Amino acid sequence: MAAEPTKYGKAKAEFVYMLNNEINKFNVFFMEQEEDFIICHKELQQRIKTVMDKWSSNGSRTEYTDEMAEIRNDIVDFHGEMVLLENYSNINFTGLAKILKKYDKRTGGLLRLPFIQKVLKQPFFTIDLVSKLVKECGNIIDEVLFPIEEDKEETKEQKGAIMVATEPVKGIFRNTVVALLTMEEIRRVSSTKDHFSLPPLNLPHSHLIHSFQLNSPIPIL
Amino acid sequence: MENSASLQESSLAPSNGTLGNSSLSPSIVTDHMCASALPHVQHSHNPAFISQSSRDLASLPPLDASFSQSTASLIHTQGNKDVSWSLDRLQMFLDLPENTPAPNQLVESSTGVLASEDHNKKTNWQEWADDLINVVDPDWSKILDNTNVLNPRVEVPKPSGDISKQQPQFHQNQLVPHGEFSSHAYPSSTAPPTKPRMRWTPELHEAFLEAVNQLGGSERATPKGILKLMNVEGLTIYHVKSHLQKYRTARYMPETSEGTSEKRITSIEEMKSIDLKTSIGITEALRLQVEVQKQLHEQLEIQRNLQLRIEEQGRYLQMMFEKQKKVEDEKGGVPSSASDDLLAPLPGSKHPPCNNGKSDSEALEQDHSRTGIGPGNAGTNEDKSSSGVSTKQKMLETESTVHDESGFSVSKRARTEK
Repeated sequence: MAAEPTKYGKAKAEFVYMLNNEINKFNVFFMEQEEDFIICHKELQQRIKTVMDKWSSNGSRTEYTDEMAEIRNDIVDFHGEMVLLENYSNINFTGLAKILKKYDKRTGGLLRLPFIQKVLKQPFFTIDLVSKLVKECGNIIDEVLFPIEEDKEETKEQKGAIMVATEPVKGIFRNTVVALLTMEEIRRVSSTKDHFSLPPLNLPHSHLIHSFQLNSPIPIL
Repeated sequence: MENSASLQESSLAPSNGTLGNSSLSPSIVTDHMCASALPHVQHSHNPAFISQSSRDLASLPPLDASFSQSTASLIHTQGNKDVSWSLDRLQMFLDLPENTPAPNQLVESSTGVLASEDHNKKTNWQEWADDLINVVDPDWSKILDNTNVLNPRVEVPKPSGDISKQQPQFHQNQLVPHGEFSSHAYPSSTAPPTKPRMRWTPELHEAFLEAVNQLGGSERATPKGILKLMNVEGLTIYHVKSHLQKYRTARYMPETSEGTSEKRITSIEEMKSIDLKTSIGITEALRLQVEVQKQLHEQLEIQRNLQLRIEEQGRYLQMMFEKQKKVEDEKGGVPSSASDDLLAPLPGSKHPPCNNGKSDSEALEQDHSRTGIGPGNAGTNEDKSSSGVSTKQKMLETESTVHDESGFSVSKRARTEK
């Protein structure tokens, strides 16, 4: 009577079950957001077109500026949200990879390789559409909304450094910065590096990003 | 535009608070029969490594992604884990392919299954676990659709609170008539009444918009009419309904803001000034935001490509080892020469690496340099095992040539001919 193999097989099955649960949560959330983004993307395009048409026929400058300003804010935030969804996808994938690696290490199993192959095909990790939307959005932002590019890189950086050093930062911007810092952190040289590990990150404008003051999003009472 | 960031902040606390309570009320599994089994299952098993792994999860670097759902998923609180785990395990046994008892039976024998003396099942555990890996998509999504709809933790924070309330009610109505959890293990399993997970595309959305406009706008169009007009196979009315809801919300938000546009602008200004000093101005603040966002996007893209390549290499290595083992088994006792045959020719392969392979390795090096690692350090990915290093590098070049089994044996023959 081999009690050990049964126990191991059962435990493995339970583990796989839990992982699948998590993956499904990722998928559900991701696809919901993706759907929202598709709708939002179309709406923004529509809004821009409407404002453009109105302006070319009507000609009221202030109205145009106001409405464009609003669209600009929205589109920048929209871009940010999509990038954060990409980050969500990636960070969860990284997490799964680490979990699987640890599982194999602790149980001597060979779960990692086949399982991660399945993960690669999951909806939450196939981000082609979101990626495309991000690029399109970025182009719209560059061409339509910020046409005048007079500042040089350094002055922009200086301004950024001055302005953000003192105030805590909130919202999408904050989360984006956190995401970058987290990525840097995760990819720092680790003791468990193997040929599956990512190389360390070298961010441009790293000092600027580090200079932001970041509060915790969870209010500490 | 949804102010999802602040919404998440407020929704995180309550959803976590209610989670512990709500997961016990078997909204997930609506049969009260299973509820009585919970006390049995809860404490009977606590395999050491599983509790360890939950501790490990907690020790992962704090993932402060903006979508707090990801942190909630990965770093469970212990209490939640126990409760949801016991329910999940029950579900798991409900779904055992070999186990198709009526629900009543299952309740009493739940602990019995764990200590099963069924010898057939023992040997099948491993295969079943492997099967489980393969069943990631269809069944779990159907099953968990029920759970996720009612699980506040997973619910996307929406601008209008109505939607999150409407959905659970909608699905509960669907569940009650059936009175049981739909899965393939149940004798009377039916197709899940709730919407199976569907992935929208821009093209599909365009078709949707066309249909809506034909029917007179988002307010007047009905899901049934839209569904008919769209005429897309596999699309159900539930998909259309939820999509229409989202669409209406997205339209409604900017329209309401028109009336209060002044208020909106000042609030945006306030936000930006809290975010960044007003001396810089909103344009600069926006520009900076876009810069940072673009940077994150770029880094993510690079990281993702790296990850894909790494996994590809790993998979290829695995394939190689398996083939080697196979050849060893077949030849039965001439291991060293066989392995030399397999591994040695690969580095020295005379096959001209086709363009894909070359550009791949070049691109990989480019990625490395972009992330601050020179070509000399490209080996960070591939250092530890000595044989692994050379094999991997050559693998990149010959990846496309040695693709499947037949291709492999062909190239092997070609080498021996030379």
